Amino acid sequence: MKQNPRLQAVQAVREELAKIGIDPFGVQIDRIVSPTEGIIQGRPTILAGTNNYLGMTFDESCIAAARSALETQGTGTTGSRMANGSYASHRDLERDLARFYGKRDAIVFSTGYQANLGMISALTGPGDTVMIDADSHASIYDGCRLSGATTIRFRHNDAADLAKRLHRLRDDAANAVIVLEGVYSMLGDRAPLREFVDVKLKYGATLVVDEAHSMGVLGEKGRGLAEEQGVLDDIDYVVGTFSKSLGNTGGFCVGNSANMDLLRYASRPYVFTASLAPATIAATRQALRVLEGASDRRQRLQENAERLHAGLSARGFRLGAAPNAVVAVLVGDKLEALRFWDHLLKNGVYVNLMVPPATPGNESLLRCSVSAAHTPKQIDSICDAFASWTGSHA
Amino acid sequence: MNRPTIIAKLVEILGPLSEERVPVIGEDTQLTGDLELDSLKIMEMLTDAEDAFDISIPINEVSDVKTVGDLADVIQKIGTNA
Repeated sequence: MKQNPRLQAVQAVREELAKIGIDPFGVQIDRIVSPTEGIIQGRPTILAGTNNYLGMTFDESCIAAARSALETQGTGTTGSRMANGSYASHRDLERDLARFYGKRDAIVFSTGYQANLGMISALTGPGDTVMIDADSHASIYDGCRLSGATTIRFRHNDAADLAKRLHRLRDDAANAVIVLEGVYSMLGDRAPLREFVDVKLKYGATLVVDEAHSMGVLGEKGRGLAEEQGVLDDIDYVVGTFSKSLGNTGGFCVGNSANMDLLRYASRPYVFTASLAPATIAATRQALRVLEGASDRRQRLQENAERLHAGLSARGFRLGAAPNAVVAVLVGDKLEALRFWDHLLKNGVYVNLMVPPATPGNESLLRCSVSAAHTPKQIDSICDAFASWTGSHA
Repeated sequence: MNRPTIIAKLVEILGPLSEERVPVIGEDTQLTGDLELDSLKIMEMLTDAEDAFDISIPINEVSDVKTVGDLADVIQKIGTNA
């Protein structure tokens, strides 16, 4: 068979992992038991790497909504909304999201990845400038590539560095689009949104904030870091996902622009893909209703995050950020992180292994995502599993 | 800023990152080939260069950069347009 040189680097990594006998990228959950438990490699396993922040995947009211839509509207839409038509429920969900955020309108995408791709590439093109945080998610980098805009990185969470770079653009600064994340997925650290909003207002630029890891988690109503920091009105576009706190799949953007409907049709990732299935839309609409009033779940999530953070700190682990739904343990060496990850899995705890260059600062990470559905006992078991590595490794 | 001055500054920035992998860094030195800089070190080096020249280097401009000389050309072009 002809060798594809582009796949050789992937093949080399696969062979290296095969020699060690650990495959962190092919984990199969043989049976899902609850939002926080599954059977992996024949063992009952605590799921602490699934971004199921509010434990919404097994919410009875969401399941009932999905079941009803499935039975009355069928399994799928079989096409794109522009070419093959929207269902009324797609538009209903967009109105729900716009109301939830207090914005003029919303656009629903088929994944969160496509939401970033679609918005960045619709808002900008060749000759425009996009300013992105150096630690941005791949979907933001890929959106910039698709747009063909001039893409300038600024130092992670550094509003002064962004201001310096906008200043260099002179008169073009007002046309720039700034893209941030509320909470960064690797370390769980928060953006200083107020500082960034001040810079955006000073230069008159457009601000897009991806709240994928903060929607449902932060803010009184769960509207994310922007709500918590009181800057939601100053953000032009909020991007988010249904695949974390809402327990489903899909993505969205809300905004106050009068051009929202034009952006929709200028967005290739919106136009050239199949729309979300009716059951997904129905469950997401219901999950949004639950999320809005789920201050008790947010409270439990925060308590769990603090318990995990404190437990791991007390056992001497270095952590990536203050207590949050993402708690990242900094391991350093890639091979040690791989063996540590495998040790946790064999001891009934599933977390995410993250290695450079996907991680900041050349550090390998064991990334835990905390859920409101975790029990305190499960959180303690996660801490104990981490501690047992220290013990077995000493 | 002229090209030799830009190259001299880049050599200065690359010195601590190169870990003496080549005896002399010059305009034909390859960043990933000769100096074995990984993507994180490249980012670090670019940020240092941006500070040194008071410019922003768009990431679209660096995808074809292979050597110190290539990078100097990009910096000179941005500096001229600024």
